[in-house]
Amino acid sequence: MLNYIWIFLIAVALLVGAGKDLNDEVRNTYQNGVPLEVTFLSPQIPAGSVLRREGQFYLTANQFNDFYKTTSQHEEVKQPAVISLSADGSGTFIFSSADATPELWKRMSTSASARDQLTGTVEKIEFSDDKSWAKAVILLEPIRFVKLKAITQAAIDFANTAVEIAIGLIGVMALWLGLMKVAEEAGLVKVLTRMLTPLTKRLFPDVPSDHPAIGAIIMNTAANMLGLSNAATPMGLKAMEELNKLSPKTGTATNAMVTFLAINTGGLILIPATAIAVRAAAGSANPGIIIGTAIFGAGCATLTGIIASKILQRLPRYKKEMPEEEKVAKEERHG
Amino acid sequence: MADLFRSVINIISVFAIPLMIAVFLGWGFIKKVHVYEVFVEGAKDGFQTAIRIIPYLVAMLFAIGIFRASGAMDLLAMIISPVTNLIGMPADTLPMALMRPLSGSGSLGIMTELMKTHGPDSFIGVLASTMYGSSETTFYVLAVYFGSVNIKNSRHAVPVGLLADLAGMLGAVFICRILFGI
Repeated sequence: MLNYIWIFLIAVALLVGAGKDLNDEVRNTYQNGVPLEVTFLSPQIPAGSVLRREGQFYLTANQFNDFYKTTSQHEEVKQPAVISLSADGSGTFIFSSADATPELWKRMSTSASARDQLTGTVEKIEFSDDKSWAKAVILLEPIRFVKLKAITQAAIDFANTAVEIAIGLIGVMALWLGLMKVAEEAGLVKVLTRMLTPLTKRLFPDVPSDHPAIGAIIMNTAANMLGLSNAATPMGLKAMEELNKLSPKTGTATNAMVTFLAINTGGLILIPATAIAVRAAAGSANPGIIIGTAIFGAGCATLTGIIASKILQRLPRYKKEMPEEEKVAKEERHG
Repeated sequence: MADLFRSVINIISVFAIPLMIAVFLGWGFIKKVHVYEVFVEGAKDGFQTAIRIIPYLVAMLFAIGIFRASGAMDLLAMIISPVTNLIGMPADTLPMALMRPLSGSGSLGIMTELMKTHGPDSFIGVLASTMYGSSETTFYVLAVYFGSVNIKNSRHAVPVGLLADLAGMLGAVFICRILFGI
């Protein structure tokens, strides 16, 4: 199943990306090769024959929308830019993408020749009498294959992100695995697991109730619920390692592993701190209002996950991949 | 009531880790465990485990990354939106529901964007933040947890995870409509 979803994500990404680029090319979304009339506002008085002037490209929202045949721009465009002119009146310009830059230009700048900057040529420029503004005709550099370039960039960026995440785990992993080992040797994990045996016996019938895996599962769940993700992941991985020791077939997920994963992906958390922080930052009158609703939602997810794992594990197609029960039964006969 | 609950949980969260360190090591010391040696012995596995998950995480994040970059999410949302309109789920929140199991940072971005556009206390703002809190990033958890023990055949884990996500999202819509419904 993971195979199909993985290849689906990749195939859809490539097809949609190529399709959108083709669409842009046919409709000339970025008006490649079409000159744009702008007003250039520049209060500085120039000196010398080669002119380098800082100023702003000014366009009304309507002018911008008419040119690019969109409706996306609602405010007038005031884009800081630098133009360089030579004596014969030809010239070039460059500007950087910033907060006030129109969305369309921002998008174009992501796949421009210089990252986050758009360049082009000044076809014609006529200054006013006091030289403080000019009517200019500019031609932006051609923008092509925005999506395919974005896909290439994302592939590289996310491969790096994956390694950064893994490397970032090393420290906390070592800390928690060390602490857990001490707790295990001291018999503390056994005390903890014994308290919750009635529950864990039902959830993980294949795992002996005093097994270290149960201790790690309990601690992982508790840490998750408290939102201590730094502690939760190492404990969860410890639980997986212990569950793997019980597996008759390495490389294949056992029923207990899938149930454990269902509890984890349900993501039951008592205080959804990230969501609350974003709400507060956005100026909410009551950021914490979602605590109850999020617990309800995550409760639905967790419960459904557990039930689904118990039902699906009985399906013949999943059962035959993990001869768990047969093996346990055989051992009992021999033992 | 909600405030009391919140402050109690916050206090527990603050004390949990120092308390665990104190109890684990203190108990071990009393039980005459060689705490330092045993700690180091356990910590040794940290490096191995973290390195082991790299290939799984690269495979998963790169696929999700290019999917996000291609803009395919909008297309997918457009195809599914007639179905979700029936249950009263605003079309704006659909990309959120679809992104949640795939990418934590992606869904965080969508949630922030929705709150900026519609306001955090609008129905869409409340629903989006509830959705964010209603599930974990299934595919990330799957890659990390299964990757750490080199599991390649995930059996029913993916359908189970996706069913759980579906239930989480539907649960979020249901409870938000009842409590904050329009």
